[in-house]
Amino acid sequence: MHGVPAEPASPAIEVRGLRKLYGDKAAVDGLDLTVPRGCFYGFLGPNGAGKTTTIRMLIGLTTPTAGQIRLLGLPMPERALEIKRRIGLVPEESLLFERLTGGEFLQFAGRMYGLDRATAAARAAELLEFFRLNDSPRKLIAEYSKGMRRRLMMAAALIHRPELFLLDEPFEGVDAVGARIMKDLLLDQVRRGATVFLTSHVLEVVERLCDRVAILNQGRVVLEAAVRDLHSGAESLEDAFVRLVGAGQGLEKPDWL
Amino acid sequence: MRLATSPLRIILWAQWRTLANLRSGESRLARSLASLVGIVWYLLWTAVAAAAAIALARPRRAELALILPWGLMSVFFYWQLAPVITASLGAALDLRRLRMYPVPQDRLFLVEILLRLATSPEMPLVLAGALIGLWRNPAIPFWAPLIALPLYACFNLLLAAGLRGLLERAFTHRRVREIVAFLLVLAVGAPQLLVWGGLGNLGRDLSLRGPSISWPWVSFGRLACGQAGAEDWVLAALWLTAAWLFGRSQFDRSLREDRPETAPAAAVGRGAQIAGVASLLGRLAPDPMAAVLEKELRSLARSPRFRLVFLMGFSFGFLIWAPLARREGSFTEGYPVLVSLYAVLLLSEVLFWNAFGFDRSAAQFWFIAPAAFRNVLVAKNLAGALLAVAEVSVVLLVCWLLRAPLTGLRIIEVYAVAVTLCLYLLAGGNLSSLRFPRPVNPEQSWGRASTGRFQMLVLFLYPLLGAPVGLAYLVRYVSGSETAFFAQLSLAALAGAVFYHASLEYALKLVERRKEQFIQTLLEQGGPVLTR
Repeated sequence: MHGVPAEPASPAIEVRGLRKLYGDKAAVDGLDLTVPRGCFYGFLGPNGAGKTTTIRMLIGLTTPTAGQIRLLGLPMPERALEIKRRIGLVPEESLLFERLTGGEFLQFAGRMYGLDRATAAARAAELLEFFRLNDSPRKLIAEYSKGMRRRLMMAAALIHRPELFLLDEPFEGVDAVGARIMKDLLLDQVRRGATVFLTSHVLEVVERLCDRVAILNQGRVVLEAAVRDLHSGAESLEDAFVRLVGAGQGLEKPDWL
Repeated sequence: MRLATSPLRIILWAQWRTLANLRSGESRLARSLASLVGIVWYLLWTAVAAAAAIALARPRRAELALILPWGLMSVFFYWQLAPVITASLGAALDLRRLRMYPVPQDRLFLVEILLRLATSPEMPLVLAGALIGLWRNPAIPFWAPLIALPLYACFNLLLAAGLRGLLERAFTHRRVREIVAFLLVLAVGAPQLLVWGGLGNLGRDLSLRGPSISWPWVSFGRLACGQAGAEDWVLAALWLTAAWLFGRSQFDRSLREDRPETAPAAAVGRGAQIAGVASLLGRLAPDPMAAVLEKELRSLARSPRFRLVFLMGFSFGFLIWAPLARREGSFTEGYPVLVSLYAVLLLSEVLFWNAFGFDRSAAQFWFIAPAAFRNVLVAKNLAGALLAVAEVSVVLLVCWLLRAPLTGLRIIEVYAVAVTLCLYLLAGGNLSSLRFPRPVNPEQSWGRASTGRFQMLVLFLYPLLGAPVGLAYLVRYVSGSETAFFAQLSLAALAGAVFYHASLEYALKLVERRKEQFIQTLLEQGGPVLTR
């Protein structure tokens, strides 16, 4: 495997004053974030904290109300096409075309990301095998289970060997074996110099995989730290998370329950 | 457990909130336009109902006994076949989501029956007009229509509910679904065949003079005229009971059915050929355009919805235009053009007006992939145009098999007219696909591929977009010159190309401005009531 081409030491993700308003409500409220290259970065937060909105803004699916985004040293959205070529995305929702087979979708994705037909076909076949999706190659995606769809999305995110992965709950619905394959592969990608930006509700997974974490609450970063620093303190990641996102608020049980 | 509130109220409230939330993002202009189109449509039917009220208030009983069954038969066919003709099964309960709640089946069935009113609300309106007319008619006992027509409405509602359930379940089996859908579509064209074959009397015999069968419209018609004998009461009761049993049994079966969220999809048996053709056509353009083109061709060819419409173009199209296009036992010269235009217009619903509908949530991919959206849109247009040309080619082949008049010039005309019309449809379609997107399940053999209000709008758009082609025919009619016709058609094609280019540019600006709403709309799921 080749490493990621060396470039000036710009961060993989650099976000300044990012803000997204829906009416009066701020989904993301003045977010500042720097993710160094070659880092496995965990982006945590309770439901509705703004994680998915942040990822959607990073990739250009949602237009920010204010703020600047630079990915791989390039400004977004000014250099959007160039950036997208170097990113692998596993979003929260399915991005799969249901009337294609898994192999056809991977070839399609590879060609959309600039691979030639032959390379796209060869890599698609290898990825199908690697992710154990080649049992019934003529099966349409419409028939895939949720876990198979997530694995296929991960395969599509890998096919062009991106430098930066944006992964929104990538392990959701994936069985233990599939999750293990995905985790090992992502660690390999980081070792070769790629950057992984991951959201997950499973704190143990984040704790085991990530170098750094940020905890988002109500659209703002409330903690940004190296995971090993957290380990050296008295608190676990779960303790810090529960303390910072306001556990105890609104937990009064209704009388009738 | 007792329910504090009526399930009907809860379900309708949930559906109303779903629709209100979906429409909250629409502009006031869009909502006003939708309301206006609805008002015009129902005013027309109110006029029909008023005409029925006036017409039925005068005749004598003997005359009524003859004409009323015909009217009731028309109501029956409209009520039961409107969902087939409009390729929309109408609203029904989404039982998959509702059966987990502690609602008695009887109540759910009642809600389902009432939702049938929403499928063809025009017919209850017409029946109400007929009821008023008959009630005012001095020759008829006042109680007769008050009993007969509401019972006839119940009969239709129960039958419609049963038919919907039956179709819905039949369509979960891919082969059955496609065959049944196709046969039903052909059945809609059967009256044309009867007229064409001079078999009109057969229809009359079946409906009114059948020696052994008394059709429901005859029994209920006689009841409504106060002319019923004991056998009519018995027959009406039997029809009503049969409809109730049919409706209820189908509903119960639907309720029991353990259908997966995604119905078994089409096998890729023909995948190799499709992939081969798509791959060949994909070489016409460089990537990423070729990749999108191939994806579109493969996806569409595997979509039951697209396949049914493609099939209809050269089968149903021949049937419905045959009576108009036959003169003295042979086809007129304009027949191939007529069928081709019909086929292209039919295809436009799945290819042009809502080009991203089948992609649903995956439409986001077009914004994530490192490809200019222009390339994606042009590739989708190219795929649509190629499939339209393929449809026209099949139409011509069938024309040749039917020995319709086909000269070289006529073949050129058919292709030239189809391509010119496609330019206008693509131009309009690009704007509508981005302005009025709607997620569509490609697995459904039928169902609306665009929003209801947009379908209404399309009825006005077709004549507008087809006008340049129509102008070319006007020139030929006036001048009698083929040269003048083709010159005018070339001008129309040129103007179409300019229109296409302008609309493409505008569509690209539109998608940039409305990207988030566009994606959100394609992600949305419905409420407790399904509309197909």
